[in-house]
Amino acid sequence: MSILYDEAQEAIAKESRRVLDAQFDKDKLLGLLDGTGRFDEAFWKTAVEQGWTGLAVPEEYGGLGLGLLEMGLIAQSAGALCAGAPFLTGNYGVTQILASCTNGALKQAWLPRLASGDAIGVVAFEEAGAPLPSDPAVKYEGGRLSGKKAAVPGALKADFAIVWAMSGGKPVLVLAELNAAMSRAVDSFDNSRLYAEISFDGAEAAVLFEGEAARCGALDCLARMAVVAAHEQMGGAETALLLARDYALERKAFGQPIGAFQSIKHSIAELYGLVEVARANSIHAASLEGQGGFLAAACAARLSGCEAYDTAARDAVQIHGGIGVTWQLGLHLHMRRARSLSIELGNALFWEDLLVTELEAKAA
Amino acid sequence: MIELDEFRAKAGEWLHSVKAEFGPDARRGLSDEQDLALGRRYMAARYDAGLAGINMPVEFGGLGLSGLHKIVFDEQEMPMGFPSVYFGISLGMPIPIIMRYCEDKQWVRERVIAALRGEEIWCQLFSEPSAGSDLAGLRTKAEQDGNGWVVNGQKLWTSHAHHSDYGVIVARSDPSVPKHKGLTYFWIDMRAPGVTARPFELLDQSVVCNEVFFDDVKLTDGQRIGPVGGGFGVAMATLMIERYVASDPDGYGPSVSFFMDLAKDVMLNGKPAIEDGRIRSAIARNYAMRSGLDAIRSRAFLQMEAGLEPGPEGSLGKLVSFRSRQKLSELAMDIQGAAGLAYDSEATTTHDWAVSWLSAPTGRIAGGADEMLLNTIAERILGLPQDHRPDKGIPFNEIPV
Ligand SMILES: Cc1cc2nc3c(=O)[nH]c(=O)nc-3n(C[C@H](O)[C@H](O)[C@H](O)COP(=O)(O)OP(=O)(O)OC[C@H]3O[C@@H](n4cnc5c(N)ncnc54)[C@H](O)[C@@H]3O)c2cc1C
Repeated sequence: MSILYDEAQEAIAKESRRVLDAQFDKDKLLGLLDGTGRFDEAFWKTAVEQGWTGLAVPEEYGGLGLGLLEMGLIAQSAGALCAGAPFLTGNYGVTQILASCTNGALKQAWLPRLASGDAIGVVAFEEAGAPLPSDPAVKYEGGRLSGKKAAVPGALKADFAIVWAMSGGKPVLVLAELNAAMSRAVDSFDNSRLYAEISFDGAEAAVLFEGEAARCGALDCLARMAVVAAHEQMGGAETALLLARDYALERKAFGQPIGAFQSIKHSIAELYGLVEVARANSIHAASLEGQGGFLAAACAARLSGCEAYDTAARDAVQIHGGIGVTWQLGLHLHMRRARSLSIELGNALFWEDLLVTELEAKAA
Repeated sequence: MIELDEFRAKAGEWLHSVKAEFGPDARRGLSDEQDLALGRRYMAARYDAGLAGINMPVEFGGLGLSGLHKIVFDEQEMPMGFPSVYFGISLGMPIPIIMRYCEDKQWVRERVIAALRGEEIWCQLFSEPSAGSDLAGLRTKAEQDGNGWVVNGQKLWTSHAHHSDYGVIVARSDPSVPKHKGLTYFWIDMRAPGVTARPFELLDQSVVCNEVFFDDVKLTDGQRIGPVGGGFGVAMATLMIERYVASDPDGYGPSVSFFMDLAKDVMLNGKPAIEDGRIRSAIARNYAMRSGLDAIRSRAFLQMEAGLEPGPEGSLGKLVSFRSRQKLSELAMDIQGAAGLAYDSEATTTHDWAVSWLSAPTGRIAGGADEMLLNTIAERILGLPQDHRPDKGIPFNEIPV
């Protein structure tokens, strides 16, 4: 079971790609690698202007009330151009949690601002390599948070975080406002992701979910974000594949295009296989949003997205030969983004385990 | 000749005695220029300690020992992290070629000693924008001019050209014959008028490679190495000089035991990652593969000691080890979670997974891309047929561009 895009969705795909193509500037992206604290502001401006920030926000809070399929299409376009700010996925994640919680005041405070792009929220669940630790070290007591979350994507510019914490022996999802003093930039190989370590040090926070509801909500949020990221990964992988294909047609060695050598030809064809599986899995997962089987489909999309993008980036560089490892060509932008997207939201091992647990539960 | 074991001990003792002066701690935070200057001091100290030019003839200033002695030294030097990288190509290829081919022995001796002491550096000007794997497709021209030659054109990638005093170059001296036949080999003064080296950055912002331009650069016929039209043969000889160099089964990246340390440290599903079956499998497989490379190498040494020619399986080292390094580095970044996103540009490829990952692709391309190594294995070792080569036998100037 899967779906075919309808006309409106086709239009989102085309239009988002068109506007991002028009503003693509490789030198700007290369420049962003140079230090912490800067991101693709032109992308974010476009996202706001185009209404992408409000895409998945419920209509009553000023959004368009669309879903994962549409978010996925935007993410795919951003991924194709190594564009994008971490807020695309992060804001989507916090929106999902806020929209499903019962705290009317917080919804009213944040959802309209998320829709308009005035606020940025991040998801801070991970600790010590565990995307959703069963016993988080960050504690919530007496309305205040203590402890740290490492390298949270987007945190350097975020207004608030939704935090996975422990409260009196039970997990909670809480919302904490952030200020500059709480975040310390993490120098990364992909600096425009705005990674920062957040130290809570007694920051005030409000509970959104507790106990089992918190666990389910956090897991659902992670899975949804993983589907958005899988689209982004697939878009990036497809670009790397096409760049390799184009170069194999143009570059000559031994009197012929290098694409005539079977080792090159087949490695590009293998990438096609990975990209198409990733595409189909991403669309399928998005189409199951809110339905049974969503989690397993999201795991499959995540795993094939990671594999497709990491492999396509690695192989596209190899197919380019020496020029592929130069700073100026910028193919390493894809290598870097493939790695950052594979690590954010948890490594493949986590999603493998989750998937098999789901499959076992289904079989039982 | 000094026994290998004795030599190993002597080399080890000296290397450790200069560790503080030239090791990673001394290098941390240095600019490229300062690091090069430290490297020059290291080479001079090594020369003064009687440990330079190990397998080079005594008449040229070397020690006249065997290739095995050299490997024994290099293997101990490699893990020290000394700034010797600037001199590897210089002493590995151009210097042995001028010793073999150049007639003015006194001049050669001066060059060899200056290169061993790190006072002079040589580069290798082979690859061009449209000739990498297909070296014989190169376009830089050498035209006869009176008794000498004039060189025009462009080289690309040339490692350390911006630090070099001299270079060896292959150029097209006759475009009217098939591509392999019209090439001639020279040495060139990198400070001569008309030579311009422009360094550029690689993906990790390291500056090793250069574009080098030649604009009416004049050479004497005495700078020719080998016969006119014999340049491809000399180029191949250059690349074959050391079939058994000290290679590294870790692909100059972190070791498997470094990965195990990480896997003990980080958690997976609430337990140390090293307890996870997938991690154990990765460790076991990478270990088995690298220990195989190591055993191939040790057996080759035994064969060399016994006066036998080592087998061709030594050519697997670079191919296999860099791929292993690339994938293992990715896995190591993955299992660290958010900590795996950090990058420390001061860290070394042997002790940092992200740094190792980012520069791994370079090792799969420089000095012969993976696909070309596989072609060599398939064709030279296994006797499989070559791919169709439409430019074979056609005069260079008639090959369609
Ligand atoms: C860091 C670095 C340092 C270097 N230093 C030097 C130096 O000091 N001096 C020097 O002369 N050169 C140097 N080089 C150049 C290096 O030798 C070439 O980059 C290399 O030989 C590949 O050539 P290319 O980059 O032109 O790629 P290409 O030859 O264009 O290859 C592109 C792709 O096509 C594949 N391919 C080509 N032919 C075939 C075939 N027949 N069958 C199957 N696949 C094929 C290649 O494997 C590769 O994947 C350096 C390169 C690097 C990256």
